[in-house]
Amino acid sequence: MTLKLKLEDGVHEVEIVARRPHLTVRIDGRLHTIADLGPAGDGSGAITFDGARLPFERIASTGTTLVRIDGRTVAVDVVDPFDEGAGPGSGRDEILAPMPGAVVHVHKAAGDPVIRGEAVLTIESMKLQTTLVAPRDGELVAVLKGDGDTFEKDEVVARLAPAEGDQ
Amino acid sequence: MSHSAPPRDAFRLDAALDVPSEPRTRAPVPFRRVLIANRGEIAVRIQRTLRQMGIGTVAVFHRVDADAPHVAGADESVELVGDSAVAAHLDGAQIVASAVACGADAIHPGYGFLSENAGFARQVAEAGLTFIGPDADTIALMGDKISARQFAEAHGVPVAPSVMPTGDLDAFAAEAERIGFPLLIKAAAGGGGKGMSIVPDAGALREAARIASSEAQRYFGDGRVYAEVYVERPRHIEVQVLGDGTGGAIHLFERECSVQRRFQKIIEEAPAARLPVALRDEICAAAVRLASAARYKNAGTVEFILGADGRFFFLEMNTRLQVEHPVTEMITGIDLVRAQLEIAAGQGLPAPQQEIVAHGHAVECRICAEAPDRGFLPATGAVRHLGVPQGAAIRFENALRQGQKITADFDPMLAKLVVAGADRGDAIDRTLSALGELAILGVETNVDYLARVLDHPAFRAGDLHTAFVSEHADSLAPRPLDAAARDRALIVAALGQRIFQTLVTDVPEPHASIGAWRN
Repeated sequence: MTLKLKLEDGVHEVEIVARRPHLTVRIDGRLHTIADLGPAGDGSGAITFDGARLPFERIASTGTTLVRIDGRTVAVDVVDPFDEGAGPGSGRDEILAPMPGAVVHVHKAAGDPVIRGEAVLTIESMKLQTTLVAPRDGELVAVLKGDGDTFEKDEVVARLAPAEGDQ
Repeated sequence: MSHSAPPRDAFRLDAALDVPSEPRTRAPVPFRRVLIANRGEIAVRIQRTLRQMGIGTVAVFHRVDADAPHVAGADESVELVGDSAVAAHLDGAQIVASAVACGADAIHPGYGFLSENAGFARQVAEAGLTFIGPDADTIALMGDKISARQFAEAHGVPVAPSVMPTGDLDAFAAEAERIGFPLLIKAAAGGGGKGMSIVPDAGALREAARIASSEAQRYFGDGRVYAEVYVERPRHIEVQVLGDGTGGAIHLFERECSVQRRFQKIIEEAPAARLPVALRDEICAAAVRLASAARYKNAGTVEFILGADGRFFFLEMNTRLQVEHPVTEMITGIDLVRAQLEIAAGQGLPAPQQEIVAHGHAVECRICAEAPDRGFLPATGAVRHLGVPQGAAIRFENALRQGQKITADFDPMLAKLVVAGADRGDAIDRTLSALGELAILGVETNVDYLARVLDHPAFRAGDLHTAFVSEHADSLAPRPLDAAARDRALIVAALGQRIFQTLVTDVPEPHASIGAWRN
């Protein structure tokens, strides 16, 4: 079986070629040997990768593993075979909160026409104000948050009428 | 007084301790218990010095912080109630009442929150407690940027040509035309970049003034704005001063805080990069002149902008301990919190100016929960793994613990990494190495970004100005991983997956059947 992992927007394949005398894996066609698998699970540890010691720190949750090696943090996602091929939704009809926070100013109301880049809501989080703008031209059908309302990351805060041609 | 760099061998790395020790023998400070009206890393930092001095510590907290390290580390703690965590920390009356109730002698405000609130300083004094900071009148004088500018100008400290608010936009615009463009519009009661904008020409002035004024009104309850000459490629240089309250003042050299994003500092260093000795002397002397004239009491910072032509102008005075104070401690060996307590207790300055010597170089990185590659948007999450760099002359100022939730309640700064070296290059190398060891997993941080800034050729060359981050945005973007690094990351991630571990250890079926397989 091949494990598919996503890193920096690309999908990579990790396949076990041999288990003895060392674990041998093929990653995108390149062979590597791992002599010491290190500790399982979250935390810090080290593996022996192609004969060299490779210290790492790692945590995993809900499909994403965060790895810190070589002074760099990398997010690796496991590709769910059932999701494969399903691209991200267009998202062009919804304005999502990029972080948790509260609304400090409402620029537009439901029914207002908007042009791409026009301010819809100004939000504040960690003392930073950010203006959420219309992702395209269209009409707002809902502004779901008002002054002072709070929301979570990725919550839909406003919705546009479906663009012509969209289903 | 000597400001020239000491010979390289004069710096002893082993002398740059976590908090500088001071062999001076002074009378003990007569405080028995100090309430720290703050939270997070600065509360933990202040507790450290109080403990070393044998003084009891009282922490305050809102329920969202009930199990925070600054609470766990204090001798006593008091819960503050309020609509939000920030509101609770801004409730001066409640904090003073708590201090009185628990028998504290003094209140240390830290930075932010009530640290530059003249009304709070007055409330503390009226309750018979000592405020570890300047008196209320000095805070009020320096808290208003216009009165502070006028005071600086009157005492021979250079200020940038400017236009004061008149309430009449036409007169304001006419005066602005006279001093010329580009101009910088600032809020009189401002700070942190709020109510601030660059105006390129006369056509943009009115609209910019209107927007800045409304933003200033919203943030500070004071819509007054003024305009001053915009210095191109400005550097932010600030001088740490200590005043005894009777006109005696010394400086502890300067810090460079030019690397900023959203007008907020992310990397600070002491001393400033490539600053000619004569110019350093001049800037430090101007800061001391201001502190002395104001009969400044306690620790303060006089901030300047420095143009490429070597002209420098007074920006503002911060009447508190600053976030970046550790770099000054690292190069001077003076514990600024201890100095604050001694001055507040009437014991005067820690040393005469001629005894204050700077050794080596120190760099501070502000570790923030944010996404540098997505416009520095704040990030939230939980600290699921924390790996702290260790070594000589490394201070990791933090109040983090594994499992801690990082919420949107407070500022995104999580911690500070402060590292000293024999000289600037050495300090940068050591900081890079420490950043490489620092692991905060579970919440997105700017750790990797800070390493890219420090390792940038322009940063290493000391070619700094406040637009460094935007000017070098392209070359500061993350480099894609090469194939070898990608494979290393993938295998480490794969081995963390239970499904992959099972594949590694499972016996393949044909071998299991014939009994020949042994793991």
